[in-house]
Amino acid sequence: MNACSCNGCDIEIVAALTPRYDAERFGAVLVPSPRHADVLVVTGVASPQMKDRLIRIYEQIPEPKYVLAIGACACGGGVFKGCYNAGQGIDNVLPVDMFVPGCPPRPEAILYGIIKLLGKVKGNRKPS
Amino acid sequence: MTDNETKAEAGAGLIQYSTENVVPFGPVHPALKEPEYFKLYLRGEKIVDVIPRIGYVHRGLEKAAEQRRWSQNTYLFERTCGICSFIHSLCYVQAVEGLTPYEVPRRALYIRLIVAELERIHSHLLWVGLLGHWAGFDTLFMWVWRDREIVLDLVEAIAGNRVHKSLVTITGVKKDIPEGMKSRIVERIKYLADRARFYKHIVDTESTLLARTRKVGNLKAETAQRLCAVGPLIRSTGIPRDVRADDPYAAYGEVPLDVVTRSEGDVHSLLQLRLDEIVASVKAIDYALEHMPGGPIRLKIPPAIPAGEYATHCEAPRGEIFYFARSSGGVSPDRVKVRTPTMANLPTAIELLKGLTMADVPVVLTAIDPCFGCMDRMSFVNLDSQKQWTWSGEELRQYGIRKYFPERKI
Amino acid sequence: MPKIEDAFKSLGAQIDSSKPGLIILKVALQDLTNSIKTVVEQLGISHLSTMTGLDLGENIDVLYHFWKNDLIASVRVSVPKSNKHASSIVEIVPGAILYEMEVHDLFGVIFDGNPWMDRRLLLPDRYPTDLPPPLLKETKASEIRKAVGIER
Repeated sequence: MNACSCNGCDIEIVAALTPRYDAERFGAVLVPSPRHADVLVVTGVASPQMKDRLIRIYEQIPEPKYVLAIGACACGGGVFKGCYNAGQGIDNVLPVDMFVPGCPPRPEAILYGIIKLLGKVKGNRKPS
Repeated sequence: MTDNETKAEAGAGLIQYSTENVVPFGPVHPALKEPEYFKLYLRGEKIVDVIPRIGYVHRGLEKAAEQRRWSQNTYLFERTCGICSFIHSLCYVQAVEGLTPYEVPRRALYIRLIVAELERIHSHLLWVGLLGHWAGFDTLFMWVWRDREIVLDLVEAIAGNRVHKSLVTITGVKKDIPEGMKSRIVERIKYLADRARFYKHIVDTESTLLARTRKVGNLKAETAQRLCAVGPLIRSTGIPRDVRADDPYAAYGEVPLDVVTRSEGDVHSLLQLRLDEIVASVKAIDYALEHMPGGPIRLKIPPAIPAGEYATHCEAPRGEIFYFARSSGGVSPDRVKVRTPTMANLPTAIELLKGLTMADVPVVLTAIDPCFGCMDRMSFVNLDSQKQWTWSGEELRQYGIRKYFPERKI
Repeated sequence: MPKIEDAFKSLGAQIDSSKPGLIILKVALQDLTNSIKTVVEQLGISHLSTMTGLDLGENIDVLYHFWKNDLIASVRVSVPKSNKHASSIVEIVPGAILYEMEVHDLFGVIFDGNPWMDRRLLLPDRYPTDLPPPLLKETKASEIRKAVGIER
């Protein structure tokens, strides 16, 4: 979910689904609705307008659920720290299970983040 | 924003900016409190009115720029958009350079052109792939995005990063293109030009695409002009408006460039136009690499920028991008104004959506080339049934596919 | 360039053409509509690239940037903060509608005649009405962040 990002992370996430990186071989598939999801992948700074929507989408995901924050903006505001309509990290809005820093992180880094998270998911425990 | 609105007309009857008395909602309706890119009013299956709300991508960049130094703002404005990040930094830097007496070294101007055109290729390929996805032709999406990786590899080889290149600096560029890299670039871009020609053939023959793009979203030249549209959108109506040709910047005054226009104004023509632009970009990069002058790639200048005001523009992949800078003589700007091409095309987008059936909305919206997040959420109000609902982009996409290809399993 | 200068001299404009490719035509606020008509209808420079707002202390300057071929011609007016009204130009340039909304959101200028003046384009709904618009120099980013609820 794009929570007010420049789309840099979004295009690298989408690229992770294309043949060269192929996230699907790790079992990761984009689903159309939060109700079918296990993991919420968030990019961006979460502007005030997006904050509510982000929470609402998160609430629609059935348990057990995990949140993956992709990119410097989602991790801590990135280059927009201090901007008047930008939050300071998705962890101020939702409980985040995995941060993937980078501006944007390469598709390989995103895949690595997903795999690490999936590893923890299989163990059925929330990562500390 | 309430929904008790009154009717008003403007635009000499050509464009109706209506605020119709829609549906008497209560003072607070949960669905309406949420931001959406578009709220679409329907009668039956047809869109009759559109209200845009683009605030959720607003971050407050222009104000932040005033608190940062001129040199730091290059990194800030790059991140206005990840898809056309280079052209943002280039246009910003051009606005600042306009305030100074310095002349950017010619070699830097050529490097700027080469990377800008590489970015155009990546952006157009991205768009073609997305359009394929939204039209229900995912094979095209996968093929095109795989080809796009070639451009990203080249960009990474030149600049060090795939997306935010951080290559431009005030009065120059930071990295050079070494001689040894030139042949590699030329070989790869020639392959991309061949692929673009292949995709052109697909666009002209593949029935899924033809059904969903031919005569869909018909934009008239007069409408595009009056609504001040930019980029491929206005060029698809026959008007050859292109900053690179009309008001050359970087090395565009010395490098010949084909300005591509079409006349049909429909989504199909946009596909052909962008693919043709990829071929034109390849030619321009080839020429630039061959004729690149020697010399320095940057100057060393003091951090304070002389007082004054300057406005400049560039041709981003989506159209004219405009920057205005004002300095009071210090190390931080007094004011920087950014106008993205997507914003310039919004009024045209609204006008295009009116009269469309819902099934055509995803394809036409993608054709206008909005940001990702913008496609996330569509709000609909059916004026006949008084029903209102919101859909995610994916739900709308699947609706469109079902309507056009009812026999298909999604 | 000479055509523009002549056309605007009769409007009593202050003309700045010190930078190549750029011309700034400062006119009185009441001459705004006439000036825009001159640029668009008389001189045929119909593409409005954007509008810029500037906080200059007592006034807010609004620049209307028009583009044709290799010229950027900007019409400039000063709107006093004590009376932040200007005429809307959407009847002459329909493409100006969102740019006027943007200057309205960020600087508080009211464009009389713009049918969407009551709507927000960029700012969140919860931006308080008693807080000055964000791009005025007096407004602090930290105040805005607290007011819209995104401060840590």
